This record gives sequence, C-alpha cells and structure tokens, in this order.
Amino acid sequence: MIIAERKPFAEIKAMVAPYKKILIVGCGTCVAVCLAGGEKEVGLLASQLKLALGLEDKRLEIGEITVERQCDLEFLRPLCDFTADYEAIVSMACGAGVQFLKQLCYLQPIFPGLNTSFIGVNNEAGFYTERCRACNNCYLGVTGGICPVTMCPKGLLNGPCGGTIQGHCEVDPEKECAWSKIYHRLELEGSLDKIREILPLHPHDRGTSPGTVIHPAFKRRYGAHE
Amino acid sequence: MSKLRETLAAGAFAVVVELKPPKGTAVTEMLAPVSALKDRVAAFAVPDNEHARMRLAPVAAARLVQDAGGEPLVHLTCRDRNRLALESDLLGAAVLGLENLLLVSGDYVTLGDHPQAKPVYDADSVQLLQIVQGLMAGQDSAGHPLNGNPGFFPGAVVIPEADPLAPQLLKFEKKVTAGAQFFVTPPVFDLEKFRLFREQLPLNPVKLLAGIKVLGAEEAALAAAGQWRQVYSLPPDLVGELAGKEPEEVLMLGVAAAGRLLKQIKEEKLADGVYLKAKGRTDLLMKVMEEAGL
Repeated sequence: MIIAERKPFAEIKAMVAPYKKILIVGCGTCVAVCLAGGEKEVGLLASQLKLALGLEDKRLEIGEITVERQCDLEFLRPLCDFTADYEAIVSMACGAGVQFLKQLCYLQPIFPGLNTSFIGVNNEAGFYTERCRACNNCYLGVTGGICPVTMCPKGLLNGPCGGTIQGHCEVDPEKECAWSKIYHRLELEGSLDKIREILPLHPHDRGTSPGTVIHPAFKRRYGAHE
Repeated sequence: MSKLRETLAAGAFAVVVELKPPKGTAVTEMLAPVSALKDRVAAFAVPDNEHARMRLAPVAAARLVQDAGGEPLVHLTCRDRNRLALESDLLGAAVLGLENLLLVSGDYVTLGDHPQAKPVYDADSVQLLQIVQGLMAGQDSAGHPLNGNPGFFPGAVVIPEADPLAPQLLKFEKKVTAGAQFFVTPPVFDLEKFRLFREQLPLNPVKLLAGIKVLGAEEAALAAAGQWRQVYSLPPDLVGELAGKEPEEVLMLGVAAAGRLLKQIKEEKLADGVYLKAKGRTDLLMKVMEEAGL
C-alpha cells in the first residue's frame, strides 16, 4: 500500500491561513491504515487548526469528509457538489489522490495534508517499511523475493557494493544489506545460479513518468484508446 | 600501451599511488607527487568524488597528471552519471589518451558532502565493466556503432574482508566475466585475513593490487574509541600503538606500518602490486616506499 506521513502542522496552517472556510478530505484506504489521512486524522487536523487559530482570535470554518479512496473516480464524483461551498480544500490522500481530487474540483485551490513516502508494508500499527519502487520491471523471481531496486539504496542488480559491514548497509547501519539477504535466501533455496548471470542495465524507459496501464479488457471494449 | 598493464603483464611488482584532486582549482599540491615519483611508480590514481565529496573531475585531473609526465589511473563512479554520461566520459578519457580505469559503484551520496544530491546508479560496477567492453568492441550500451573504438585497461574493486564474503566473491566473478583485468582492494592491515582471502580467490589471470594506507590521527582516534566502521579491520596492536599520540607522530607510525605491510606483501608475493594511499603527500609516499625498500 501507499505509505504517507502528515505534513508538519505549521506548514498546513500556513497553507490555509488566507481562507475562512475550508474542507478537509480524508482517504479511507492506504493512508487510513498508516494512520496519516483517514477519518480520525481528518478530525484531529480540524481540531488542531481550530484550536491554534482560536488562540490567535481567528475564525476558520472547517468541513470534514472522508471518502473510501481519493484515487478512484467512483468515490470522488459524489464530492463535487459538496465542495462548491468551500474556499479551499486540504486533501489528506497520497499525491495521486490529491491530484485526482483537484482534477474534479478545479475551481478551488487544493493543498496536500500529507507527504507521500513510498509503497510499503504494515509491519504493525505505526511501523511501515518500503518494499517497492514501482519500476515496472520486477526482479523478485530472480532475487529471492527481495527487491534489489528498492532494498539496496543504490539499486544494484549484480551483487553487493563494497560497503557491507557485518551484513549491514553502508548507508544505514541499522539495515541489513539487501544483497547479503538475497544471497542467503537463494542459498537456502539452493538456487544461487539465478544470480550468477549478469543482469543487464535496467530498462528505465519502462518507468518513464507519468505511467499508464491499460488492461486488455479495456482495450477490447474501448479500442479507440489504444 | 599503458605502463600499468605492461608492468603487471611482465609480472613486475606494480606501485600505484593515489592523488588527491582538489576541492577547487588549485592543482599544484595534487600534482606534487607526480614530478617526485613518476619514474618510480606505475601509475597515479585519480579518485572520482571520493567518499561522495565533490572534487575536481577525474578525467581533467588525469590529463594534468599526464601533462606532468605521470601515467594516470582514472576512477569512474556509477553514483554520479547515467549511462550516457558514463559512456561519453569514457570516450572523453580515451581521446585524451587515458587508458587505465578503476570502475566503481561509488559511496552513497548521503555519506558525502552533498547529501541531498540525486544518486544515479543507472549502471552498477559490473554493468559499467560491460559498457567498457562494448565501447572497446565498437558499440555503445544501446548497441549503436562507434566511429573509432577506445582502448582501455579496466580494473575493479574487491573487498577481501567483506562480511559475508560469499556475495562479494560472486560479484568478483561477475566482474571478471565482465572484463576486469585487475582488482584493487581497500587498505590491508591484517595480513592473515588477506592470506585467507587469497586462498579463496578463484584461479584466474586477473591481477591484484593490495591497498596500503597511511593512517591519520582522526582514524587512529576513531579506532581507539571503538568506533571503527570500515570494510577493513585494524589489528588491535596497531590501534594501541597509535592511541594517544600527536598527529605527526601518528603519521610517522602510520608510515612505518604501511612500509612494513608493503614490504611483506611484496616479499610474500601476496599481490601483484599495491595501491598506496598517503593523503596525496609526497613526503609520506616517499617515506613509505623507502621503508618498504622500493
């Protein structure tokens, strides 16, 4: 899922300072799971803003709403009429959600309430770690289920760099060296041969942004989009 | 033909001396060891933004070394260039007559003096060796033909004390397959560990240059404080010998230790040569060579 963190309060407060009536839109999927932008966090931000501005004798009217997913038109469309009453919107979604919401509600300024961090996993509540860089060329079948593009800071495809110290990474000594782990896993599997071949240069053209994926069924139905 | 290649091919003991490209345009100090040692060493290595700290470009520095009468060994790191930049810099090196290459992944940017820079690593060091092979054979990494092929003597790095060692050896084999002609190691202080590493090396014709380093006061202090975090270890007796000494005294003891190690590596034929790091200082470099009887 997408992992995000809320922006510092002072930054959000400064963004909404020129307005008298704002809407905070939460997102009920990834960022709700990582405790950054779900319904609870929307309520918390609204309260913080009211309190902080109240102390400065300023008044800010805040609407709150959380949709299932801001990255999905199905859930965003019903919001359009609702947002018309507000001067500005704070989206508590990932960067994709913020942009999609603005695409629909294009009359008001929109501000991100979060910094989007990475695609990662929920180890346990409050502890999230990165696993995927969405490179569009998955190596996991070769590298024992550990992504060298993501888990090695240098994204090296052919083995460890020279900085491994006691199996740990030169960049962050708290983290294990991805290539030490890849080697160990494949050794246990008895499939070290998988990494004896030299992997060629990564096809970065496959990751040219902005990416588009069109499902074959969509192509069949709407051939004109091909 | 490169003097380094000739020396190694002839089975003679090769001494490579590392220079310190300046952070700025004042090059006199960097070039001082060249005029003093050009007749006594095989090559002068020019690091490429070593430790991810921005310094004079290695290809330009190497050309100055050449003009001063020395033979350069140009480092090229994958950290700062994508494949286009790597290839065009390699062609640039070739037309300037620079043949010896040391191809490395490169220390990560956050460890250096521009921690917010974008790390590139479009190629890794194995792939960079392949790129070099491709250029020498007349085509770029996208398969396009070249108009004039460069000639290089490509080398790479291997870590004798890597922990774990097996993944490092796997990468070493890939580097050999990708055309590495010689290998440079990080500084060697523990000869017993180095001997063990040599025994584990697969039999192949590639040449090995053992790293020799003159330790400084900062490094001695780190080691004495138990904060040594490098890919090579320091024997406790050496750490004890350097502990609490004045900086110049540490350097002199460091010179003596480096000289002893160099001499022993040469006498025992533990390597085909050495890669000598002494802060780019002519006086230290000369003393080490004197101590080693070179």
